[in-house]
Amino acid sequence: MGFDFSLVIPRMGLFLDGALVTVETSAMALLFGSILGVVVGILRVVPLKPLQVLAACYIYVIRGTPALTQLFFIYFGLPSLGINLSGMASGVLGLSLNSAGYVGEIVRGGIEGVPAGQWEASRVLGLSYAKSMRFVILPQAVRSMLPAFGNEFVTLIKESSLLSTLAITELTMAGQQVRSVTYASFETFIVVGAIYLALTSITGFGLRFVEKKWNVV
Amino acid sequence: MCDAMESGSQGIISVRGLRKSFGRNEVLKGIDLDVSEGEVVSVIGPSGSGKSTLARCMCRLERVDCGSVSLCGLEVSSGRHRNGDIARLVGMIFQQFNLYPHLSVLQNITLSPVRTLGMSREEAEVLAYGLLAEVGMSDKASARPRQLSGGQQQRVAIARALAMHPRIMLFDEPTSALDPELVGEVLEVMARLAESGMTMVIITHEMTFARDVSDRVVFMDDGAIVEQGAPSVVFSNPQHARTRQFLQRLLVASGGGSVVRTGECVNGL
Repeated sequence: MGFDFSLVIPRMGLFLDGALVTVETSAMALLFGSILGVVVGILRVVPLKPLQVLAACYIYVIRGTPALTQLFFIYFGLPSLGINLSGMASGVLGLSLNSAGYVGEIVRGGIEGVPAGQWEASRVLGLSYAKSMRFVILPQAVRSMLPAFGNEFVTLIKESSLLSTLAITELTMAGQQVRSVTYASFETFIVVGAIYLALTSITGFGLRFVEKKWNVV
Repeated sequence: MCDAMESGSQGIISVRGLRKSFGRNEVLKGIDLDVSEGEVVSVIGPSGSGKSTLARCMCRLERVDCGSVSLCGLEVSSGRHRNGDIARLVGMIFQQFNLYPHLSVLQNITLSPVRTLGMSREEAEVLAYGLLAEVGMSDKASARPRQLSGGQQQRVAIARALAMHPRIMLFDEPTSALDPELVGEVLEVMARLAESGMTMVIITHEMTFARDVSDRVVFMDDGAIVEQGAPSVVFSNPQHARTRQFLQRLLVASGGGSVVRTGECVNGL
Protein backbone atom coordinates (compact mmCIF):
# COMPACT_ATOMS: atom_id res chain seq x y z
CA MET A 1 0.00 0.00 0.00
CA GLY A 2 1.22 3.47 -0.76
CA PHE A 3 1.00 6.61 1.22
CA ASP A 4 -0.33 9.68 -0.39
CA PHE A 5 0.69 13.03 1.01
CA SER A 6 -0.99 14.84 -1.88
CA LEU A 7 -4.21 15.12 0.12
CA VAL A 8 -2.43 16.48 3.19
CA ILE A 9 0.10 18.88 1.73
CA PRO A 10 -2.45 21.31 0.23
CA ARG A 11 -3.87 21.71 3.75
CA MET A 12 -0.54 22.83 5.15
CA GLY A 13 -2.13 26.19 5.97
CA LEU A 14 -4.44 24.49 8.47
CA PHE A 15 -1.50 22.76 10.13
CA LEU A 16 0.48 25.97 10.36
CA ASP A 17 -2.50 27.86 11.79
CA GLY A 18 -2.80 25.10 14.36
CA ALA A 19 0.91 25.21 15.08
CA LEU A 20 0.66 28.96 15.61
CA VAL A 21 -2.09 28.43 18.20
CA THR A 22 0.05 25.76 19.84
CA VAL A 23 2.99 28.15 20.09
CA GLU A 24 0.80 30.99 21.33
CA THR A 25 -0.94 28.99 24.02
CA SER A 26 2.20 27.30 25.26
CA ALA A 27 4.13 30.58 25.26
CA MET A 28 1.37 32.26 27.27
CA ALA A 29 1.20 29.30 29.63
CA LEU A 30 4.97 29.42 29.99
CA LEU A 31 4.87 33.13 30.80
CA PHE A 32 2.04 32.99 33.34
CA GLY A 33 3.16 29.61 34.64
CA SER A 34 6.68 30.91 35.19
CA ILE A 35 5.54 34.03 37.01
CA LEU A 36 3.22 32.04 39.26
CA GLY A 37 5.79 29.26 39.53
CA VAL A 38 8.49 31.65 40.77
CA VAL A 39 6.03 32.89 43.40
CA VAL A 40 5.17 29.32 44.41
CA GLY A 41 8.85 28.37 44.49
CA ILE A 42 9.76 31.35 46.66
CA LEU A 43 6.86 30.72 49.02
CA ARG A 44 8.12 27.17 49.28
CA VAL A 45 11.40 28.38 50.84
CA VAL A 46 10.33 31.57 52.63
CA PRO A 47 10.93 31.14 56.38
CA LEU A 48 7.21 31.31 57.19
CA LYS A 49 5.63 27.93 57.82
CA PRO A 50 2.03 28.67 56.67
CA LEU A 51 3.23 29.97 53.30
CA GLN A 52 5.54 26.98 52.86
CA VAL A 53 2.66 24.61 53.57
CA LEU A 54 0.36 26.48 51.20
CA ALA A 55 2.88 26.26 48.36
CA ALA A 56 3.61 22.62 49.15
CA CYS A 57 -0.10 21.77 48.97
CA TYR A 58 -0.43 23.52 45.63
CA ILE A 59 2.51 21.60 44.18
CA TYR A 60 1.17 18.37 45.69
CA VAL A 61 -2.25 18.73 44.06
CA ILE A 62 -0.97 19.93 40.68
CA ARG A 63 1.64 17.22 40.36
CA GLY A 64 -0.62 14.51 41.71
CA THR A 65 -3.50 14.96 39.27
CA PRO A 66 -3.60 14.67 35.47
CA ALA A 67 -3.37 17.88 33.47
CA LEU A 68 -6.41 16.80 31.48
CA THR A 69 -8.46 16.45 34.68
CA GLN A 70 -7.34 19.95 35.70
CA LEU A 71 -8.42 21.35 32.33
CA PHE A 72 -11.83 19.63 32.53
CA PHE A 73 -12.28 20.90 36.06
CA ILE A 74 -11.72 24.48 34.93
CA TYR A 75 -13.75 24.24 31.74
CA PHE A 76 -16.63 22.01 32.85
CA GLY A 77 -16.43 22.25 36.64
CA LEU A 78 -15.96 25.92 37.42
CA PRO A 79 -19.21 27.03 35.73
CA SER A 80 -20.95 25.41 38.73
CA LEU A 81 -19.41 28.20 40.76
CA GLY A 82 -20.58 30.75 38.24
CA ILE A 83 -17.16 31.02 36.61
CA ASN A 84 -17.61 30.60 32.88
CA LEU A 85 -14.43 30.72 30.87
CA SER A 86 -14.03 30.26 27.16
CA GLY A 87 -12.19 27.21 25.90
CA MET A 88 -9.14 29.32 25.17
CA ALA A 89 -9.15 31.03 28.57
CA SER A 90 -9.68 27.72 30.35
CA GLY A 91 -6.91 26.13 28.34
CA VAL A 92 -4.32 28.79 28.98
CA LEU A 93 -5.32 29.10 32.64
CA GLY A 94 -5.19 25.34 33.12
CA LEU A 95 -1.81 24.92 31.45
CA SER A 96 -0.43 27.91 33.39
CA LEU A 97 -1.61 26.61 36.75
CA ASN A 98 -0.28 23.19 35.86
CA SER A 99 3.07 24.52 34.74
CA ALA A 100 3.36 26.68 37.86
CA GLY A 101 3.38 23.55 40.00
CA TYR A 102 6.35 22.13 38.16
CA VAL A 103 8.15 25.47 37.80
CA GLY A 104 7.64 25.96 41.54
CA GLU A 105 9.61 22.82 42.23
CA ILE A 106 12.30 23.87 39.76
CA VAL A 107 12.59 27.27 41.45
CA ARG A 108 12.70 25.75 44.91
CA GLY A 109 15.46 23.40 43.80
CA GLY A 110 17.37 26.26 42.22
CA ILE A 111 17.13 28.45 45.31
CA GLU A 112 18.11 25.64 47.64
CA GLY A 113 21.05 24.87 45.40
CA VAL A 114 22.64 28.27 46.06
CA PRO A 115 25.28 27.78 48.77
CA ALA A 116 24.35 28.95 52.28
CA GLY A 117 27.42 31.19 52.25
CA GLN A 118 25.71 33.45 49.71
CA TRP A 119 22.80 34.06 52.08
CA GLU A 120 25.23 34.69 54.91
CA ALA A 121 27.37 37.10 52.94
CA SER A 122 24.43 39.15 51.69
CA ARG A 123 22.96 39.19 55.17
CA VAL A 124 26.05 40.47 56.95
CA LEU A 125 26.39 43.01 54.15
CA GLY A 126 23.06 44.42 55.20
CA LEU A 127 20.66 43.14 52.56
CA SER A 128 17.18 42.25 53.77
CA TYR A 129 15.75 38.81 53.02
CA ALA A 130 13.86 40.15 50.00
CA LYS A 131 16.88 42.01 48.62
CA SER A 132 19.15 39.03 49.16
CA MET A 133 16.67 36.92 47.26
CA ARG A 134 16.36 39.41 44.43
CA PHE A 135 19.95 40.49 43.91
CA VAL A 136 22.02 37.57 45.13
CA ILE A 137 20.09 34.30 45.31
CA LEU A 138 17.63 34.32 42.40
CA PRO A 139 20.13 35.47 39.75
CA GLN A 140 22.33 32.52 40.68
CA ALA A 141 19.40 30.13 41.00
CA VAL A 142 18.06 31.05 37.54
CA ARG A 143 21.28 29.94 35.89
CA SER A 144 21.03 26.49 37.41
CA MET A 145 17.32 26.37 36.64
CA LEU A 146 17.61 27.03 32.91
CA PRO A 147 17.90 23.43 31.68
CA ALA A 148 14.86 22.39 33.73
CA PHE A 149 13.01 25.47 32.48
CA GLY A 150 13.76 24.39 28.93
CA ASN A 151 12.32 20.96 29.60
CA GLU A 152 9.23 22.59 31.04
CA PHE A 153 8.71 24.62 27.85
CA VAL A 154 9.06 21.50 25.75
CA THR A 155 6.59 19.71 28.01
CA LEU A 156 4.16 22.61 27.66
CA ILE A 157 4.30 22.51 23.87
CA LYS A 158 3.41 18.85 23.99
CA GLU A 159 0.76 19.17 26.70
CA SER A 160 -0.96 21.97 24.82
CA SER A 161 -2.30 19.17 22.61
CA LEU A 162 -4.75 18.58 25.47
CA LEU A 163 -6.44 21.82 24.47
CA SER A 164 -7.88 19.95 21.49
CA THR A 165 -10.36 18.48 23.97
CA LEU A 166 -11.63 22.01 24.69
CA ALA A 167 -12.43 22.56 21.00
CA ILE A 168 -9.39 24.76 20.44
CA THR A 169 -7.93 24.40 17.00
CA GLU A 170 -4.31 23.96 17.96
CA LEU A 171 -2.02 21.64 16.05
CA THR A 172 -3.49 18.29 17.15
CA MET A 173 -7.04 19.54 16.58
CA ALA A 174 -6.02 20.80 13.14
CA GLY A 175 -4.76 17.29 12.44
CA GLN A 176 -8.10 15.85 13.49
CA GLN A 177 -9.88 18.19 11.10
CA VAL A 178 -7.62 17.36 8.19
CA ARG A 179 -7.96 13.67 8.93
CA SER A 180 -11.76 13.83 9.04
CA VAL A 181 -11.83 15.43 5.61
CA THR A 182 -9.11 13.48 3.87
CA TYR A 183 -9.20 10.16 5.77
CA ALA A 184 -5.41 10.20 5.37
CA SER A 185 -4.82 9.48 9.05
CA PHE A 186 -1.32 8.13 8.71
CA GLU A 187 -0.01 11.00 6.62
CA THR A 188 -1.81 13.60 8.72
CA PHE A 189 -0.30 12.60 12.01
CA ILE A 190 3.12 12.10 10.49
CA VAL A 191 2.95 15.76 9.54
CA VAL A 192 1.55 16.78 12.94
CA GLY A 193 4.28 14.85 14.71
CA ALA A 194 6.95 16.36 12.50
CA ILE A 195 5.75 19.87 13.30
CA TYR A 196 5.75 19.15 17.04
CA LEU A 197 9.25 17.77 16.72
CA ALA A 198 10.35 20.90 14.89
CA LEU A 199 8.83 23.13 17.58
CA THR A 200 10.40 21.24 20.47
CA SER A 201 13.75 21.07 18.67
CA ILE A 202 13.81 24.80 18.01
CA THR A 203 12.90 25.45 21.65
CA GLY A 204 15.60 23.12 22.89
CA PHE A 205 18.15 24.65 20.57
CA GLY A 206 17.20 28.18 21.59
CA LEU A 207 17.49 27.38 25.26
CA ARG A 208 20.88 25.75 24.90
CA PHE A 209 21.98 28.92 23.15
CA VAL A 210 20.74 31.07 26.03
CA GLU A 211 22.37 28.75 28.56
CA LYS A 212 25.70 29.01 26.83
CA LYS A 213 25.50 32.75 26.54
CA TRP A 214 24.56 33.09 30.19
CA ASN A 215 27.22 30.78 31.46
CA VAL A 216 30.05 32.72 29.89
CA VAL A 217 31.43 34.46 32.94
CA MET B 1 33.90 57.07 68.78
CA CYS B 2 30.80 55.13 69.57
CA ASP B 3 27.43 56.70 68.97
CA ALA B 4 25.22 58.22 71.62
CA MET B 5 23.72 54.77 72.14
CA GLU B 6 26.86 53.68 73.93
CA SER B 7 26.08 52.49 77.40
CA GLY B 8 28.46 52.71 80.31
CA SER B 9 32.15 52.04 80.03
CA GLN B 10 31.83 48.84 78.00
CA GLY B 11 33.92 48.36 74.92
CA ILE B 12 32.81 48.73 71.34
CA ILE B 13 32.09 45.00 71.54
CA SER B 14 30.51 43.66 74.68
CA VAL B 15 29.59 40.00 74.95
CA ARG B 16 27.81 38.94 78.13
CA GLY B 17 26.98 35.41 79.28
CA LEU B 18 26.69 34.18 75.71
CA ARG B 19 25.37 30.66 75.34
CA LYS B 20 24.63 28.83 72.13
CA SER B 21 23.65 25.25 71.44
CA PHE B 22 23.11 23.34 68.23
CA GLY B 23 20.62 20.67 69.22
CA ARG B 24 22.05 19.07 72.35
CA ASN B 25 25.55 20.21 71.61
CA GLU B 26 26.37 23.29 73.67
CA VAL B 27 28.96 25.14 71.61
CA LEU B 28 29.29 28.31 73.69
CA LYS B 29 29.04 27.89 77.45
CA GLY B 30 28.82 31.41 78.73
CA ILE B 31 31.22 33.80 77.00
CA ASP B 32 32.12 37.23 78.38
CA LEU B 33 34.28 39.37 76.18
CA ASP B 34 34.93 43.09 75.84
CA VAL B 35 36.84 44.65 73.02
CA SER B 36 37.72 48.31 73.09
CA GLU B 37 37.77 50.60 70.10
CA GLY B 38 40.77 50.10 67.84
CA GLU B 39 41.77 46.91 69.58
CA VAL B 40 42.87 43.89 67.56
CA VAL B 41 41.93 40.61 69.21
CA SER B 42 42.95 37.20 67.91
CA VAL B 43 40.89 34.22 69.00
CA ILE B 44 42.76 30.94 68.91
CA GLY B 45 41.90 27.44 70.00
CA PRO B 46 41.31 23.92 68.75
CA SER B 47 38.64 23.30 66.14
CA GLY B 48 35.26 22.77 67.71
CA SER B 49 36.10 25.15 70.53
CA GLY B 50 33.34 27.55 69.47
CA LYS B 51 35.51 30.34 68.02
CA SER B 52 33.62 30.56 64.73
CA THR B 53 30.25 30.37 66.45
CA LEU B 54 31.31 33.28 68.66
CA ALA B 55 32.15 35.36 65.60
CA ARG B 56 28.90 34.35 63.91
CA CYS B 57 26.89 35.37 66.97
CA MET B 58 28.64 38.74 66.94
CA CYS B 59 27.39 39.54 63.44
CA ARG B 60 24.02 37.89 64.09
CA LEU B 61 24.49 35.01 61.68
CA GLU B 62 23.52 32.85 64.64
CA ARG B 63 20.76 33.61 67.10
CA VAL B 64 22.00 33.48 70.68
CA ASP B 65 20.24 31.22 73.17
CA CYS B 66 21.21 33.18 76.22
CA GLY B 67 23.17 36.30 77.05
CA SER B 68 23.79 39.26 74.80
CA VAL B 69 26.06 40.76 72.19
CA SER B 70 26.28 44.55 72.04
CA LEU B 71 28.15 46.49 69.39
CA CYS B 72 28.59 50.20 70.02
CA GLY B 73 25.97 49.86 72.72
CA LEU B 74 23.44 48.39 70.30
CA GLU B 75 22.20 45.02 71.48
CA VAL B 76 22.40 43.20 68.17
CA SER B 77 21.44 39.86 69.70
CA SER B 78 17.96 41.18 70.48
CA GLY B 79 16.92 40.48 66.89
CA ARG B 80 15.14 43.82 66.67
CA HIS B 81 17.49 45.43 64.19
CA ARG B 82 17.48 45.28 60.46
CA ASN B 83 20.35 43.62 58.61
CA GLY B 84 21.37 47.04 57.31
CA ASP B 85 21.77 48.42 60.84
CA ILE B 86 24.03 45.54 61.83
CA ALA B 87 26.08 45.80 58.64
CA ARG B 88 27.00 49.39 59.44
CA LEU B 89 28.51 48.23 62.71
CA VAL B 90 30.25 45.01 61.78
CA GLY B 91 31.77 43.42 58.70
CA MET B 92 32.47 39.72 58.42
CA ILE B 93 35.13 37.93 56.40
CA PHE B 94 34.50 34.26 55.72
CA GLN B 95 36.87 31.37 55.29
CA GLN B 96 35.32 30.65 51.88
CA PHE B 97 35.20 34.35 50.80
CA ASN B 98 31.56 34.06 49.68
CA LEU B 99 31.88 36.58 46.90
CA TYR B 100 28.84 36.79 44.62
CA PRO B 101 29.90 34.69 41.61
CA HIS B 102 27.39 36.25 39.20
CA LEU B 103 28.66 39.79 39.75
CA SER B 104 31.89 41.51 38.82
CA VAL B 105 34.36 42.49 41.52
CA LEU B 106 33.11 46.07 41.31
CA GLN B 107 29.45 45.03 41.55
CA ASN B 108 30.28 42.78 44.49
CA ILE B 109 31.44 45.86 46.35
CA THR B 110 28.77 48.34 45.24
CA LEU B 111 25.69 46.14 45.75
CA SER B 112 25.19 46.78 49.45
CA PRO B 113 26.08 50.49 49.51
CA VAL B 114 23.65 51.09 46.64
CA ARG B 115 20.86 48.84 47.90
CA THR B 116 21.04 49.43 51.63
CA LEU B 117 22.80 52.76 52.17
CA GLY B 118 21.01 54.45 49.29
CA MET B 119 24.27 55.52 47.70
CA SER B 120 24.20 56.46 44.03
CA ARG B 121 25.89 54.05 41.66
CA GLU B 122 28.59 56.60 40.74
CA GLU B 123 29.31 57.36 44.38
CA ALA B 124 29.52 53.66 45.21
CA GLU B 125 31.88 53.01 42.31
CA VAL B 126 34.22 55.76 43.42
CA LEU B 127 34.19 54.23 46.88
CA ALA B 128 34.76 50.75 45.42
CA TYR B 129 37.71 51.83 43.28
CA GLY B 130 39.27 53.46 46.33
CA LEU B 131 38.89 50.31 48.39
CA LEU B 132 40.18 48.12 45.56
CA ALA B 133 43.28 50.29 45.43
CA GLU B 134 43.74 49.81 49.16
CA VAL B 135 43.69 46.02 48.83
CA GLY B 136 45.79 46.11 45.66
CA MET B 137 43.06 44.88 43.32
CA SER B 138 42.43 47.94 41.15
CA ASP B 139 43.16 46.11 37.90
CA LYS B 140 40.55 43.43 38.60
CA ALA B 141 37.46 45.61 38.98
CA SER B 142 35.66 44.05 36.04
CA ALA B 143 36.78 40.48 36.68
CA ARG B 144 34.47 37.77 37.95
CA PRO B 145 35.34 36.10 41.27
CA ARG B 146 36.05 32.76 39.61
CA GLN B 147 38.81 34.38 37.58
CA LEU B 148 40.68 35.33 40.76
CA SER B 149 42.95 33.36 43.03
CA GLY B 150 41.81 32.64 46.56
CA GLY B 151 44.00 35.37 47.98
CA GLN B 152 42.63 37.89 45.50
CA GLN B 153 39.08 36.84 46.27
CA GLN B 154 39.64 37.31 49.98
CA ARG B 155 41.11 40.77 49.42
CA VAL B 156 38.03 41.70 47.38
CA ALA B 157 35.87 40.32 50.19
CA ILE B 158 37.66 42.63 52.61
CA ALA B 159 37.08 45.61 50.30
CA ARG B 160 33.44 44.61 49.99
CA ALA B 161 32.99 44.51 53.76
CA LEU B 162 34.75 47.85 54.21
CA ALA B 163 32.39 49.50 51.72
CA MET B 164 29.70 49.45 54.41
CA HIS B 165 32.03 51.50 56.66
CA PRO B 166 31.74 49.08 59.56
CA ARG B 167 33.14 50.02 62.96
CA ILE B 168 34.28 46.46 63.60
CA MET B 169 35.69 43.77 61.33
CA LEU B 170 35.37 40.07 62.12
CA PHE B 171 37.56 37.52 60.38
CA ASP B 172 36.55 33.87 60.55
CA GLU B 173 39.68 31.94 59.61
CA PRO B 174 40.32 34.24 56.65
CA THR B 175 43.36 32.36 55.36
CA SER B 176 42.42 28.76 56.16
CA ALA B 177 41.11 28.02 52.66
CA LEU B 178 44.11 29.56 50.91
CA ASP B 179 47.11 27.95 49.31
CA PRO B 180 50.11 28.66 51.56
CA GLU B 181 51.74 31.05 49.10
CA LEU B 182 48.60 33.23 49.03
CA VAL B 183 48.25 33.64 52.79
CA GLY B 184 50.75 36.47 52.98
CA GLU B 185 48.94 38.92 50.71
CA VAL B 186 45.75 38.62 52.77
CA LEU B 187 47.53 38.94 56.11
CA GLU B 188 49.32 42.00 54.77
CA VAL B 189 46.01 43.70 53.99
CA MET B 190 44.73 42.77 57.44
CA ALA B 191 47.85 44.13 59.12
CA ARG B 192 47.41 47.45 57.32
CA LEU B 193 43.78 47.54 58.38
CA ALA B 194 44.84 46.94 61.98
CA GLU B 195 47.36 49.76 61.74
CA SER B 196 44.66 52.09 60.48
CA GLY B 197 42.88 51.69 63.81
CA MET B 198 40.09 49.31 62.84
CA THR B 199 38.64 47.26 65.68
CA MET B 200 39.24 43.66 64.67
CA VAL B 201 38.38 40.22 65.98
CA ILE B 202 40.29 37.52 64.13
CA ILE B 203 39.57 33.82 64.44
CA THR B 204 42.82 32.34 63.26
CA HIS B 205 45.33 29.52 63.20
CA GLU B 206 48.09 31.88 62.06
CA MET B 207 49.99 32.10 65.32
CA THR B 208 52.76 34.30 64.00
CA PHE B 209 50.23 36.79 62.73
CA ALA B 210 48.28 36.65 65.99
CA ARG B 211 51.46 37.37 67.89
CA ASP B 212 52.70 40.15 65.64
CA VAL B 213 49.52 42.04 64.89
CA SER B 214 47.09 41.60 67.76
CA ASP B 215 46.89 43.54 70.98
CA ARG B 216 45.31 40.62 72.76
CA VAL B 217 45.05 36.90 72.25
CA VAL B 218 42.04 34.96 73.48
CA PHE B 219 42.38 31.21 73.86
CA MET B 220 39.12 29.27 73.66
CA ASP B 221 38.51 25.63 74.36
CA ASP B 222 35.30 23.64 74.69
CA GLY B 223 32.99 26.63 74.40
CA ALA B 224 34.69 28.82 76.97
CA ILE B 225 37.45 31.40 77.14
CA VAL B 226 40.26 29.67 78.98
CA GLU B 227 42.76 32.47 79.04
CA GLN B 228 43.51 35.79 77.43
CA GLY B 229 46.13 38.44 77.50
CA ALA B 230 48.88 40.15 75.57
CA PRO B 231 50.31 37.87 72.87
CA SER B 232 53.71 37.89 74.53
CA VAL B 233 52.17 36.52 77.71
CA VAL B 234 49.80 33.96 76.19
CA PHE B 235 52.34 32.58 73.75
CA SER B 236 55.48 32.60 75.88
CA ASN B 237 54.03 32.01 79.28
CA PRO B 238 50.59 30.41 79.04
CA GLN B 239 48.96 30.07 82.44
CA HIS B 240 46.65 27.18 81.73
CA ALA B 241 47.50 23.58 80.99
CA ARG B 242 45.04 23.49 78.10
CA THR B 243 46.65 26.50 76.45
CA ARG B 244 50.07 24.92 76.83
CA GLN B 245 48.76 21.67 75.38
CA PHE B 246 47.24 23.45 72.39
CA LEU B 247 50.40 25.39 71.62
CA GLN B 248 52.50 22.26 72.09
CA ARG B 249 50.33 20.34 69.66
CA LEU B 250 50.71 23.10 67.10
CA LEU B 251 54.46 22.94 67.56
CA VAL B 252 54.55 19.20 67.01
CA ALA B 253 52.08 19.30 64.14
CA SER B 254 53.92 21.91 62.10
CA GLY B 255 57.00 20.72 60.33
CA GLY B 256 60.27 22.26 59.13
CA GLY B 257 60.64 26.01 59.09
CA SER B 258 57.36 26.72 60.74
CA VAL B 259 58.47 24.82 63.83
CA VAL B 260 61.04 27.53 64.29
CA ARG B 261 58.41 30.20 63.78
CA THR B 262 55.93 28.62 66.12
CA GLY B 263 58.76 27.88 68.48
CA GLU B 264 59.46 31.59 68.56
CA CYS B 265 55.84 32.13 69.46
CA VAL B 266 56.02 29.84 72.42
CA ASN B 267 59.49 30.53 73.71
CA GLY B 268 60.99 33.44 71.95
CA LEU B 269 59.02 36.33 73.40
